[in-house]
Amino acid sequence: MPDMDVLLAGLSDAFSLVNLLFVIAGVIVGQFVGAVPGIGPVMAMAIAIPFTFFMPTLPAIAFLVGVNKGGLFGGAIPAILMNTPGTPDAAATALDGHPLAKQGKPVKATKMALYSSITGDTFSDIVLITISAPLAVLALKMGPVEIFALMIFAFSVIAGLVGDSMVKGVIAAVFGLLCATVGIDPEHGTPRLYFGFFELFDGLPLAAVAIGMLAVSEILRRLASAGSTPRSAITSLDGDDPTVSRVSWAEYWSCRYVMARGAVIGTVLGAIPGIGSTAAAFMSYASAKQASDEPESFGKGNIKGIAAAESANSAVMGANLIPLLVIGIPGSIAAALLISAFKIHGIQPGPLLFEQQGRLIYGLFGAMILANATNLIVGQFSLRLWTRVISAPESVIFSSALLLCIVGVYMSTGGLFGVAVMLVFAVVGYVMNVFGFPVVVFIIAFFLGGSFETYLTQTMVILDGDLTRMIDYPIAVALVVLALISVWWLGFRKKG
Amino acid sequence: MSANRLSGVFVACAGLLLLFLIIPANTETVDYGRMRPQTIPDLCAILLVAFGVLHAIRPRGEVAIEWREVWRFALFATIAAVSLFLMGRFGFPVIAPVTALVVMLLIGERRPVWLATGALIIPAVVWLVVVQLLERTLP
Repeated sequence: MPDMDVLLAGLSDAFSLVNLLFVIAGVIVGQFVGAVPGIGPVMAMAIAIPFTFFMPTLPAIAFLVGVNKGGLFGGAIPAILMNTPGTPDAAATALDGHPLAKQGKPVKATKMALYSSITGDTFSDIVLITISAPLAVLALKMGPVEIFALMIFAFSVIAGLVGDSMVKGVIAAVFGLLCATVGIDPEHGTPRLYFGFFELFDGLPLAAVAIGMLAVSEILRRLASAGSTPRSAITSLDGDDPTVSRVSWAEYWSCRYVMARGAVIGTVLGAIPGIGSTAAAFMSYASAKQASDEPESFGKGNIKGIAAAESANSAVMGANLIPLLVIGIPGSIAAALLISAFKIHGIQPGPLLFEQQGRLIYGLFGAMILANATNLIVGQFSLRLWTRVISAPESVIFSSALLLCIVGVYMSTGGLFGVAVMLVFAVVGYVMNVFGFPVVVFIIAFFLGGSFETYLTQTMVILDGDLTRMIDYPIAVALVVLALISVWWLGFRKKG
Repeated sequence: MSANRLSGVFVACAGLLLLFLIIPANTETVDYGRMRPQTIPDLCAILLVAFGVLHAIRPRGEVAIEWREVWRFALFATIAAVSLFLMGRFGFPVIAPVTALVVMLLIGERRPVWLATGALIIPAVVWLVVVQLLERTLP
């Protein structure tokens, strides 16, 4: 049970005016970038991280959380109006959202997406708030040997679940770990793999690598493919009949079971590192269709289809933070970016956070709930504005985004060397994408590389260099066995 | 040999290169402690060789390379690299508008209002926010 004074102090931080303004700004930015096909909340978070360097810790994290939450709903807008999902998570939303928009009810479709997104997200946040502290207490009982085994297990699950090949996932993870070894060796203090660049003594800059692989790589790819495919027509909101545009309470309530199922699916899948919100949305959509009395209406503008997809994909966000806060392992790329934001502010994610930074964590929880309410209010009033955003030209959006990346990395690394590193990793990210090596796995392994090496070193000291002595640590053995089973199941059996 | 299989061969060769050339030449050796500085990099290189070979033997997944996109990606990456170099010499206020203009023209933007927005207004806003508001420097 947390100290009440810490909890109240955290919540009062969350509800301060400064924090509220940053949450609102984050949600607006998130909905904006979510509405622009091709950018999305992950790219926006990556670009925003260097700018949060100069903010106090809680407003910085709250801003990024706002961007992510806003982006999850924003992605549904082009999915519904253009049949072009702004984010991959919103692909399932388009299945019923776009047909409903074409029936002359685009506002109803978008509002249903908004309400179900907030419902799923709030459920997931409540689960996070309720269970993360008790789980962190359990996690604190684990020593370096168990945590090292847990990391092996997490890597094997992430490598197996992301992408179309276990082997490619492992290669991406190993490459990420290798890149994390650049710089001064933590045990002996000797430089490694710095190629004569003294700037690399501190390792490859987190922000440069993240922005290069997640943002610049995608911006350059979008610029390279610009004009090759015509943009989809936008369903105008002007033709919407005002008498049917609102979602009535009866309609919302009729979707309660669908949303509850979606929220549970999203929360469970979100808590498992590597699965992601796209899978949750499609799984929830399929289960809603299967459970429906009229499955033939799905795909033709059924609001329950929108509710199922949106509640699930938004529920993933809060649950993604469970492994991040409990054991310091990010469940998704957005959570990995939050790790880099924590690290930029000198905070190490993991179970000790609740002991050492309790006020910050409860502030973060408060900010998440605040972001949900803000998402609802901003989404209600800015819908027509975002339909204008969708029609903004790619030329302006992507050239501006490129400049922001350069400026952001320059500010966070303090020189052009970091920007050059960003560009190198943009090319690396593109090549990995072309050949199907999952960038997500690389980023997570890169972010965790330092901790992995530390825990491996401690494990070797504890076991006196003899790995067979791990048998004295049953939890670690169980985790290693689980890792082997997941490699077999996900790598060889499931993927054939 | 398919591109997918070739990527496995490339990974394995890169692993060998790392193991025998790059890591020994760029890591200071220490002969004490459980974990030496080169232990993790060597382990990574060995795994890259092993899994690269495995992928070359049994490639999984699909790889479809669109050469037009690859060449255009290389073009835009080169433009970004050149503007980075020039930014170091002439500064952000001079090079950023030119870079934005070149990029916009290359992807077919010809509308004067949008060209002015992307090449003048956006860099000016970025400069104002960073230099004047945040009081940070730009290249």
